Amino acid sequence: MGNYFFETEGPIDRVDGKQKVTGQALYAGEYPLEKLCYGVLVGSSIARGNITAIATKEAENAAGVLAVITHLNRPAIPGYTGEGDSGPAGMKLMSSPAIYFAGQPVALVIADTFERAQHAASLVKVAYKTTESSTDLSTQLSKAAAPRRGKSEYSRGEKNAYKKAAVWIEEDYVIPHEVHNPMELGSITAVWNGDQLTVYDKTQGVKASQRSYAQLFGVPQDNVRVVAPFVGGGFGMALRTWPYEVAAVMGARKVGQPLKLMLSRSQMFTLVGYRPHTIQQVGIGATRDGILTGISHDATAATASYEEFTEGVVRMTQFMYSCANVDTRYRLVPLDVSVPTWMRGPGEATGAFALESALDELAYKLDMDALDLRKKNYAYTDPESGLPYSSKFLMDCYDQGAEKIGWYKRNRQPRSMKNGEWLEGYGMSSGVFGAHRPAATARAVLAADGSLLVQSAASDIGPGTGTAMVKIAADVLGLPYDKVRFELGDSRLPPAPTQGGSGTNSGVGAAVHDVCTAVKEKLILAMNEGKAGFSKQPQQEWLFEKGRIGNGAESISFSDLLKNMGQSAIDLTRDSKSGEERQKYAFYSFSVHFTRLWVHARTGVVRIKQIVTVADAGKIVSEKTARSQMVGGAIGGIGMALMEEAVFDHRFGRMVNNNFADYHIPVNADVPDIDTIFINKPDPYINPMGAKGMGEIALIGYAASVTNAIYHATGKRIRELPVTPDKLL
Amino acid sequence: MINFDYLRTASVNATLDAIKREPRAAFIAGGTNLVDLMKRGVTSPPRLIDINNLPLKNIERTSSGISIGALATNSAVAINEMIRSDFPLLSQALHAGASPQLRNMATVGGNMLQRTRCTYFYDTTMPCNKRQAGSGCGALGGYNRMHAIFGASDKCIAVHPSDMCVALVALNATAVVRSNKGERRIPFGDFHRLPGDTPQTDNQLKAGELITAVEIPSNKFQQHSFYLKIRDRSSYAFALVSVAVALSIENNRISDARIAAGGVAHKPWRLLNVEKALTGQPASVETFQKAASIATQGAKGYGQNNFKLKLLPQAIIQALETASS
Amino acid sequence: MSKTLPTSDEQGKGASRRDFLKWSGAAVAVSLTPSVVTRAAGERADETIAGFFEKMPLKLEVNGKLHQLQVEPRTTLLDLLREQIGLTGTKKGCDQGQCGACTVHVNGRRINSCLSLAVMNEGQKITTIEGLAKGDELHPLQEAFIKHDAFQCGYCTPGQIMSGVACINEGHAGSADEIREFMSGNLCRCGAYPHIVDAILETKKGGNNL
Repeated sequence: MGNYFFETEGPIDRVDGKQKVTGQALYAGEYPLEKLCYGVLVGSSIARGNITAIATKEAENAAGVLAVITHLNRPAIPGYTGEGDSGPAGMKLMSSPAIYFAGQPVALVIADTFERAQHAASLVKVAYKTTESSTDLSTQLSKAAAPRRGKSEYSRGEKNAYKKAAVWIEEDYVIPHEVHNPMELGSITAVWNGDQLTVYDKTQGVKASQRSYAQLFGVPQDNVRVVAPFVGGGFGMALRTWPYEVAAVMGARKVGQPLKLMLSRSQMFTLVGYRPHTIQQVGIGATRDGILTGISHDATAATASYEEFTEGVVRMTQFMYSCANVDTRYRLVPLDVSVPTWMRGPGEATGAFALESALDELAYKLDMDALDLRKKNYAYTDPESGLPYSSKFLMDCYDQGAEKIGWYKRNRQPRSMKNGEWLEGYGMSSGVFGAHRPAATARAVLAADGSLLVQSAASDIGPGTGTAMVKIAADVLGLPYDKVRFELGDSRLPPAPTQGGSGTNSGVGAAVHDVCTAVKEKLILAMNEGKAGFSKQPQQEWLFEKGRIGNGAESISFSDLLKNMGQSAIDLTRDSKSGEERQKYAFYSFSVHFTRLWVHARTGVVRIKQIVTVADAGKIVSEKTARSQMVGGAIGGIGMALMEEAVFDHRFGRMVNNNFADYHIPVNADVPDIDTIFINKPDPYINPMGAKGMGEIALIGYAASVTNAIYHATGKRIRELPVTPDKLL
Repeated sequence: MINFDYLRTASVNATLDAIKREPRAAFIAGGTNLVDLMKRGVTSPPRLIDINNLPLKNIERTSSGISIGALATNSAVAINEMIRSDFPLLSQALHAGASPQLRNMATVGGNMLQRTRCTYFYDTTMPCNKRQAGSGCGALGGYNRMHAIFGASDKCIAVHPSDMCVALVALNATAVVRSNKGERRIPFGDFHRLPGDTPQTDNQLKAGELITAVEIPSNKFQQHSFYLKIRDRSSYAFALVSVAVALSIENNRISDARIAAGGVAHKPWRLLNVEKALTGQPASVETFQKAASIATQGAKGYGQNNFKLKLLPQAIIQALETASS
Repeated sequence: MSKTLPTSDEQGKGASRRDFLKWSGAAVAVSLTPSVVTRAAGERADETIAGFFEKMPLKLEVNGKLHQLQVEPRTTLLDLLREQIGLTGTKKGCDQGQCGACTVHVNGRRINSCLSLAVMNEGQKITTIEGLAKGDELHPLQEAFIKHDAFQCGYCTPGQIMSGVACINEGHAGSADEIREFMSGNLCRCGAYPHIVDAILETKKGGNNL
């Protein structure tokens, strides 16, 4: 921890706020380019089988059509190496007649206007030989197998020890297929200029996308520029390069014009990943006074037949609570569906629903308060690694959240609290996620006018990365916010990690901190050398404030100091990464969620009345944007708990509610006031700011607070999400 | 979407002429359903006749009640003072539907003519007898959580998605339609039809006919009416089940009762048996429960929508309690 | 495609207009002014031919500026704004009337521009997010959105703000609950709803300058 204050100017407004509220922020599908053409993908109507014939003449002859590309005439994509239809970059776009899931791209139609491209796409006629498909995890559990990569089993102590406990429960918990659905559609605009490629992309990582396009299209990485200063939400969906993006880049090269491709909302359900349907069994046992003696957690998740996807569904169970005997198992069932991907919280959110529900069930069976049960089994060192925590203020989270919502004032008995025709319930749950610090590089340029430009190829899919980085830079150098500009979202900038796994603020923030500190050291050196020309000469402590350096009596502006130094600017770049502290400590962020809700006794309608969500995410860098992130996580959790489920008609292997009218995400009227509490104590080891990640813990565990509250309200335990009114009748 | 002809008309007569010239044309008013259907290729009329300039937007008192022009928007009707004071049930039902933006676009006539939201109807790769006669009903044996429990056939189990129409059928409204042959009036309960063997036809409107107005007779339900909509989220969602209730209560006795349900049939579903069970009875929970218990007589679930058999009576009791209090 | 950037004197000069009249053939163009365009075309030609010519003149006002354009009847107001006029502040989130990202004002009333055909807006006054501020001076609700951090990714934001301004003007911003209901036509996946409600409540109380 350096000389660090974070209280320079109070809360900072979002630095790109004005652009966002005036419509000036440009997203991937909005760059005005000459000769722009439009791509539309045609999706397979069947889930499994082969294309036997594909008729494109009519589409090709339609007005304005520039090209129709299918597996029969697809230009070569150099990066598609190896046998088969799937490679390191995932499914190879239109590489054979084989169909692996409904909606799989079978043709790309390119035309001079969007309307013409869309119409021509409807003229492509495809004949298939259909093979029986299987898309239903629940009927295919016998095919469950360990993933090809990664560890699928874990145990410490005795297996299935819960069954010997004085009090135990064993239940199944089910998470349906859920879809990210950021508001911005999957969008890309690709521009080739010779072998130079510029891609305006919806991506959570411009550097990763740059590598990916360079590899796929066989051009040097420096020839590829990926631009994404604004990303309309991601939630994990833009963590990788998808076939639709490959299609756009390929199509642009083929027609020799800039090409824009925006997925339709229904394509967003099948072409860019999702949280997979997962069936879990949790057994958990304790002594009569509530000391956990065994937890067993078994998860089986859906994946694609052509590509394996794994995530940390059972991870939380391994390290959340102090318990001597823990065993977990994670298996996959390949189905005729598109490949899943990480969705906010990722697997941990799936697992937390099961674990945190099971704890609630056990608490009731023990006749013990659910929060007390958690406190009683509090882990003071990481039960998995045995390491001490870098910092852990989960107990404070429990206490402050409980106080705020009045947890201990409730009548714990199920169905005991009423408000007119509504049954009232309280529920709580917790979440945890590894606190990471990915390597990053940042450049800082202190200009002659005393303003600071900081650059890093980070992304901002919504959390306010730019805002937090400006805050860090301003605080390190004692600059007013409006003197600092942070540039991100361009692969030409110094490398930064992909925005995922709650690592950006920590990793990029550390790089920004380090490079600004280096700038500061240069200035201090100059001050110590007497470059300021102060009457009283050198001293150890300089005061950095409002763009000036002083000693209390005299001060000089950065601008004048630079002049005195004979320099037009200070331009530095610093790499920043974690060190051996990662081997000495266990790094985690923690959250606790409390929900008070009403259930309508007659109709099963649930109304969430109050939410208190508490985070131990270390030091909070930018409070205003952090609050928005926590609020957003809880609202995502409302969707997960009460309404989100992508439904298949397994007879056809097709999704039947792939639109916003049938796949419900929360609307404004679903959401009550939400209190967010930050413990706001710095982690001494993670990075110079002491800031841990927050994006995932905002959501992880939240859904269980709702189902636990529903149990409290009604006495009805729902173990299969989402809890729609029909399940409570 | 195909590129279609577009024609804008300025009078009812010109409109009726235009549709006679090209019977395959479709009228477009708000467009909130039609444009979506055209984008998805569910329907592809070669010509659109834009009727937004027709003088059919007025809401007027008549000697027997009120007349609402077919082009009055859903929001205009919902906030109209006469509607709110004399027919609060209609205002409530309209506010329960769609979103403020869509209500600003959608018209009364268009609301009556909106197509089902059955997923198989919208997905052109799936079987649907309503979209393509003879292709089969995907919802039978498929995803039918939102589907009908009354009056369905083995050809179609789709439901009519409107909230407004549920209130209008409860209020004994009449649809006024015009064609070259003149004007005719269709009682609201007869306007929409059951699927039978021809689910492709939603209603009794004949080729060349244009809805010009909806008339609602005066009533005494102002004090005791309520529209209850049960859905998967708090707003901007179609009904699992909805109930329109209008009661006239004199000396705590129900002198007149109207009940209709939405989300349960191919048409807004009037529950005459429940109305009969309420009429003349004291306005009490016991009465409501007894009446609601016969609401699902003749109803049938198709698997995923079986819960509606339980939900509908509960919703009726709830709506009656709210309306009577 | 050719960007049909608006000019004040395009009408009567553009090739598209001549094509329109040629195509109309026997058609009777009663008037090309806002009120009535009557075309009684005979048999439709093959789509490939028709598609090339089928553009109609359209005159509308966007953010106070008159645009005279040639558009296909199938072009939605949303695509017209984004792809032809170059106003990309209005967002496409579903193209099906199910999310509200495309909300604009037509004659002061909020609508979903994805379900409105451009040609249905002949002679109308359209206001988009780009037309809300007065020069550098933000609309009070835009200011309030920044103050309350009523967005994260910003993609639904233009729609939320256009909807919010209308919500206040309609008189549907009387309480937090009323705002919640009357703002439910605008989805936000980042979950900014509570802050959106705060921003609208505060702007409503401010009461000025809407």
